[in-house]
Amino acid sequence: MSVAEIDIKALEAEALLTDKPEALIVTYWKRLRRHKLATFSLIMLGAVILLMIAGPIIMSRQTYYNISKNEETLYARDTQDLANRNAAPSADHWLGTDELGRDVLFRLLVAGRLSLFIAFTVVFVRETVGIFIGALSGYFGGWVDSFIQRAVEFIIILPLLPLLLTLSSLLRGVQINFLPPEWSQAVVIIIILSLFGWTGAARLSRGMALSLRNQEFTEASKALGMSDLQIIARHMVPNTLPPVIVNATLGLGGVILLESALSFLGFGIQQPVATWGNMLQDVQKDMFTAPWKALYPGFMIFITSLCFNYIGDGLRDALDPRLKL
Amino acid sequence: MTNYLIRRGFQMIIVVIVATMAIYGLLNAVPGGPLSGLNLSGNQKDRLSAQDIARIEATLGLNRPVWMAYLTWVGGEDWVDELGNLVGNPDLNGKLLFTGTWSDYQSPTCQQAGGSNAGADPDRLMPCNRGIIRWDWGESWSLARGQSVSNIIQSRVGNTIILMTIVSILSIVIAVPIGIISAVRQYSALDYAVTTFSFFGIAMPVFWFGLLLIILFGVKFQQWGFPYFPTGDVFTTRVTPGSIQDILSVTPGTVTDRIVHLILPVTMLSLFSLAGWSRFMRSSMLEVLRQDYVRTARAKGLTERIVIMKHATRNALIPLITIVVFQIPDIFGGAIVTETIFNYPGMGRLFIDALNRDDWPIVMAYLFISAILVVIATLVGDILYTIVDPRIRFD
Repeated sequence: MSVAEIDIKALEAEALLTDKPEALIVTYWKRLRRHKLATFSLIMLGAVILLMIAGPIIMSRQTYYNISKNEETLYARDTQDLANRNAAPSADHWLGTDELGRDVLFRLLVAGRLSLFIAFTVVFVRETVGIFIGALSGYFGGWVDSFIQRAVEFIIILPLLPLLLTLSSLLRGVQINFLPPEWSQAVVIIIILSLFGWTGAARLSRGMALSLRNQEFTEASKALGMSDLQIIARHMVPNTLPPVIVNATLGLGGVILLESALSFLGFGIQQPVATWGNMLQDVQKDMFTAPWKALYPGFMIFITSLCFNYIGDGLRDALDPRLKL
Repeated sequence: MTNYLIRRGFQMIIVVIVATMAIYGLLNAVPGGPLSGLNLSGNQKDRLSAQDIARIEATLGLNRPVWMAYLTWVGGEDWVDELGNLVGNPDLNGKLLFTGTWSDYQSPTCQQAGGSNAGADPDRLMPCNRGIIRWDWGESWSLARGQSVSNIIQSRVGNTIILMTIVSILSIVIAVPIGIISAVRQYSALDYAVTTFSFFGIAMPVFWFGLLLIILFGVKFQQWGFPYFPTGDVFTTRVTPGSIQDILSVTPGTVTDRIVHLILPVTMLSLFSLAGWSRFMRSSMLEVLRQDYVRTARAKGLTERIVIMKHATRNALIPLITIVVFQIPDIFGGAIVTETIFNYPGMGRLFIDALNRDDWPIVMAYLFISAILVVIATLVGDILYTIVDPRIRFD
C-alpha cells in the first residue's frame, strides 16, 4: 500500500465525519411523518399485518369446544362445527362462526394474509415490469418506443373488468401441478391482475427516461463504455423510483379492491380457501339470518385500502423534489 | 383533422378486431369449455355417446378450427362451403367428419338448408348464422337456449341504460355544485368533508357498500317495522305488507314501482361517481380561480357571484366534460357488480350469468359491445379536448 493512497482515504474519512449530509431516506421519513393521516395509516397497517401474521400462529395452538365433535379442538381454517353454525360472537369465537361453523376470526386473519400477499406481489411484478419496459421505450426511442407505446395504448383502451372476469372464469379450473391448490389459485390471480396493470409505471418511467437520456451523465456513462442495458439499470431505473413508489402505494388499495371484487363475484379464489372477497360472497345467502357476517371482511378491505391510499398520498408529498424542509 | 379522424377510425377498427380475436382465441384455447360438464355422470347409461357429442359440437360450431370459428362468428357460415369448393376441399385426415368438404364446418341446420339462407322465411330464425357483420349475433347456448343473442340483449339493455343514465345525470348535478363550493370555500368544514368522502369513495369496496345498503334498508327496516325497500329486480310481483310499495300504495308494474326498485342501486352507484367527480371538479375549480382572468373579472368590479358562475365555473367544467365521457365505459363495467348484488336484470348480470354457464355467444357479444364503447368514448373524449381547448390540435 502506497503512502498516497492512505492519505486520500484518511482525507475522505475525515470529510465524511465532519460534514455528513443527512441520508435521503431520513429526509423522506421526516417529511412523511408530518402527514398525520399517513403516519397514522402506517401504524394502523403495521398493526394489521402483525395481527395477521401472529394471530393464526397463536390461535392454531389454542383450543375451543367444538359442539358437534363434543371435544376441545384446535382452531383451524377449515374445521367445521355444524352444530354451531352462524353463531354470534362468544368467548370461543370472538367474531362468531360462519355457515359451516368455522371460526370467523381465524378465517379473517388467514384471508388477510392471502389478500395482502396477492396485492403486494401483483404491484411488485407490474411496477418492476412497467419500469423496465418504460425505460427501454424512453431510452431507445424510434420504433421500439412507438411499438411499446401502441401496446400501452391498446391495453389502456381494453374494457378492464369484463376482460379480467372472462380470463379468470377461463382459468378458474387450472391447477398448477407442483403447487398446493390455494397457491395455484393465487398465482393464477396474480398473473391475471399483473397482465393489464403495468402501463402506469411504464408511462412514468418512459417520461423520466426521455428527460434523462440527453443529459451529460448519460453521455459520460456511454463514453466510459457502459452498455445500454447497464445505463438503463444504473441510471434510468433508480431515477424513476420515487414517482413509481407513489404510484405503487396508491395502486395497492386498488388491487385489493379488484381481487376481492373478483372473488366476490365468484371468479377469484374459491372456497374453502378464504379471502376477504369470497367471505363476503356467502353473506348474500344468509342476509336475513346472519347479516353481521358482512361487517368484518368488508371492513378489513375498506381499512387496508384506505390506509394504502393515505400512505400513498403522504409519500407523494414526501418524495416531491420541489418540496424543501 | 380529417386525416386524423380517418387514421383514428382505422386504429379503432384494428383495436376491436385484435381484442375480439384475442378473446375468441383464449376462449377456445383453454381446456374445459362448455362441453366439459356433460360426461361427469357416474352412471354409464347417462353418458353421451361419441356421436351425440359430435352432433352437439357440430350444432354449436365447436368442431371448427379456431380461425374458422372466428371467421364464421364475424362473417356467418353460409359462404363456407362455397369457399371450400373454391380453394379445393382438403380432406383434413378425419377432422372433417361427414363428407370431407368444407360444408362440414357448417351447423347441421345450415347443411340441411343447402348451405345458404336463400328462400328462408325472413321472419324466422335463419338456418345459417350470418355473422355479426350482418347483425346476427348467434344463438344462446345455455342461458336461454335457442333464443337469438340480439333478442336477449335487447331485453336487458334497456334496464342498464335506465340505471346508468339516472346515475350519471344525478352524479353530475350533485358533484358540480359540491366541487364548486368546496373549491370556493377551500379548507372549510364542507371542503374537508368532501375530501374525506372522496377518499372513502376510492377505498370503499362497491359490493360491500351495496350489501350494507341491502342489510340496512331491506333487512333491518323490515325487522324494525319501518317501510323497507325491495332488494332486487325491477318490478314487484306481489306487494308485501309493510314494504315501501305498500305504504305508497304502488301498483306492481308501474313506473313508480320501477322507481322504488331503482332507489338503492342508484344511491350506491351515484355515491361512487360522486366521490371522484366532485374531487375532480374541486381541483379543476381551484386551478381556474388562480387564473389572471378571474382576477381581472374581480378588478372590473363584478360581484363574486358572477365571477364564479360566469367566469370560473364555465372554464372549470371543461376538463370535467372529458372525464365524464372517459368514464362512460367504466360505468358500463362497474354496473356488473351493482347489478349482481341487486339482482338487477341488466347487461352486467347477463354477462356474469353467461360466464358462469359458458354461454360464449353472449360473452363475445358483451365484450364486443364494451370494446366498441370504450374505443368510441376515447375518441369522443379526445375530440372534445380539441373543441373545448383550441390549443390542443391533432394532425
